[in-house]
Amino acid sequence: MLDIYKEKYTKAVLQYSILDINGTILESDNGLFLDFKNNYIGDIHPFFETLIPLLPLKENETIFSCIHLNIEEKTITADIILQTFNDGKNPLLIIHDLTKHYNNYQTTAQVRNESVINSQILELKNTYLKEKESFKNTFIANFSHELRDPLTGILTFTDILGKTNLDNNQKDYLKVLSSSSTFLKKMIDDILDISKIESGKLELSIEPFNFLELLNEIKFNYKLKAEQKGLEFNYNFDEKLPKILGGDSKRLRQVLTNLLDNAVKFTNTGSINFNVSLNQIRAQKASVHFEITDTGIGIKEEKIKDIFTSFTQVNSEDTFKGTGLGLAIVKYLVELTNSKISVTSEYGKGSTFSTNINFIANSSLAVSEKEVNETVIFNGSRKYNILLVENSEITQLSVLKILASQGHFFLDIMTNPEEVLARISNYDSEVDLVLMDINLTEQKGDEIAKRIRKLPERHQRKVPIVAVTARVFKEDLKAYKKAGINDVLKKPFNENQLLEIIAKNLK
Amino acid sequence: MKVSKKIVLLGHFGVGKSSLIRRFVENTFSDNYKVTIGVHIFKKNVTIPEKNTDVSLVIWDLEGNDDINNTRLSYLLGTHAFIYVYDVTRPATYENLESEINFLKEKHKNTSITVVGNKEDLVTKAYLKQNNEDFGKLTDLYISAKTGNKVDFLFSNLAGSLI
Repeated sequence: MLDIYKEKYTKAVLQYSILDINGTILESDNGLFLDFKNNYIGDIHPFFETLIPLLPLKENETIFSCIHLNIEEKTITADIILQTFNDGKNPLLIIHDLTKHYNNYQTTAQVRNESVINSQILELKNTYLKEKESFKNTFIANFSHELRDPLTGILTFTDILGKTNLDNNQKDYLKVLSSSSTFLKKMIDDILDISKIESGKLELSIEPFNFLELLNEIKFNYKLKAEQKGLEFNYNFDEKLPKILGGDSKRLRQVLTNLLDNAVKFTNTGSINFNVSLNQIRAQKASVHFEITDTGIGIKEEKIKDIFTSFTQVNSEDTFKGTGLGLAIVKYLVELTNSKISVTSEYGKGSTFSTNINFIANSSLAVSEKEVNETVIFNGSRKYNILLVENSEITQLSVLKILASQGHFFLDIMTNPEEVLARISNYDSEVDLVLMDINLTEQKGDEIAKRIRKLPERHQRKVPIVAVTARVFKEDLKAYKKAGINDVLKKPFNENQLLEIIAKNLK
Repeated sequence: MKVSKKIVLLGHFGVGKSSLIRRFVENTFSDNYKVTIGVHIFKKNVTIPEKNTDVSLVIWDLEGNDDINNTRLSYLLGTHAFIYVYDVTRPATYENLESEINFLKEKHKNTSITVVGNKEDLVTKAYLKQNNEDFGKLTDLYISAKTGNKVDFLFSNLAGSLI
């Protein structure tokens, strides 16, 4: 019985054939294929054609694993063993059908390889996207930088023009010119900030600042702006708020002014409320709650998720201009303090933006009472020799006009590094301060500064140097400091900023 | 006169060895990736008119391997020419190109090796130029199994050189 079953259910998986050394099949057991005998093996499948040179080998066993064969309309995957002998016997060829086994292996290999290839492709796509992003950010940074020189010219000469005798019409034109250029400057700053944010180059500084003074100043400005638009402006500053806090006052101002700008921009009737309260002071950290509420146009529920995305303007009407970057910057800056910004809004009724920001609160924190925006006055009859190293004609003219209007300065303008060094080395007329552009043609400003710091005479090499540049990334500032540059004036600058930095750095 | 030559295709998995052969033998192409395990063997006759010879190319399509050391030695017996294929878009397939080729040259001193960068249709000429240091210097030909660019040239040129 067993023999009957074996005969019935045994499936042949082997075929034995004997060949001569020229490849003619002398014998075959027809285990898998029927028509082998008397055929030239090379004609059965191209695989066997490549075996012919191996047939005359002496006593040898060669195993070929996992060979796909298509013979007599039958497809199998087999191991093939070629056995040759050295006693004159003809070569033996064994075909071992392992199709089922190899099919299972095929499935596993398919999954494994696809997964490896997909992860490699994903990695490449990521690298490509990162490179593209980095190119975009570098492009934006350079482009913004190039815009700053002409903008410095516009802002400076708008200031200067405002101090000349103008009729009422001209004053109106100047007002438009001034607000347009300020708006343009704000947009460029926003674009630059976003590029810094996206390239991970924006970091917060922590320094003590007069918190209450900053709040009052912001309140004063926005009360005025709101009232000019016929809006009510309410504020409530918690009495428990500390006067001095440690944090990044510039970026805090940016967050609050962005939110208040939006509130004023999108509110046509009603009021704006600006509330600041102290959550707690614990372990020398103060958590402060900021809330800005308006009765403006509000945001549709489905749009709320988009408002913090770069270049998104939920209200696309022409009446509300801007880059759509403000809230994206706000969100990022708030997140840099490990906090979150939240918004609630009802379309047609208004919005509330709120956040809790942590500051350093330490009784030892102190700030100099001498604050910025103080009017700079150069008293007395002393005149200072200022050397401007700058190749932009607009900046040259701007600095010249501002300094000339003061009557306290002699100004030399140069671009050639050798002339600069010669001028500073001139004993007859000492230079009191150098205003140094960085992006110069013949030699970079920081390189010239390094050379100045190596001059033989002490008073010459110690001359104060102020960089005048739009390149103010953290690594740039480090490089300037390393080159011996004392201070940095960021382009575009206005009259006050220039005079302040000169006053601060003059010996 | 008719001669038979064994050509073996080597390279990482997914670089397009099977597609390259299918393009040459059947003039077809499919975007679907099917892993090759073991070896598939194809045959195509190429006429070399200037030598008045028909060459029967027996082409071995080996399963992809990220280390040439792991290739089963029996597959390489009696090989007349190697075609080493990499994918110009996937660095993993060419980052060890030089050592792989050196290994082959050392082990098979008398066998010709042609290095081809496949999928050239997916990249620009500028990209190929930029990557000259990585693979350009070792590459004999950039091809595309998808478009068929230079595929016939590759095999017929190789067949001619083997006569």
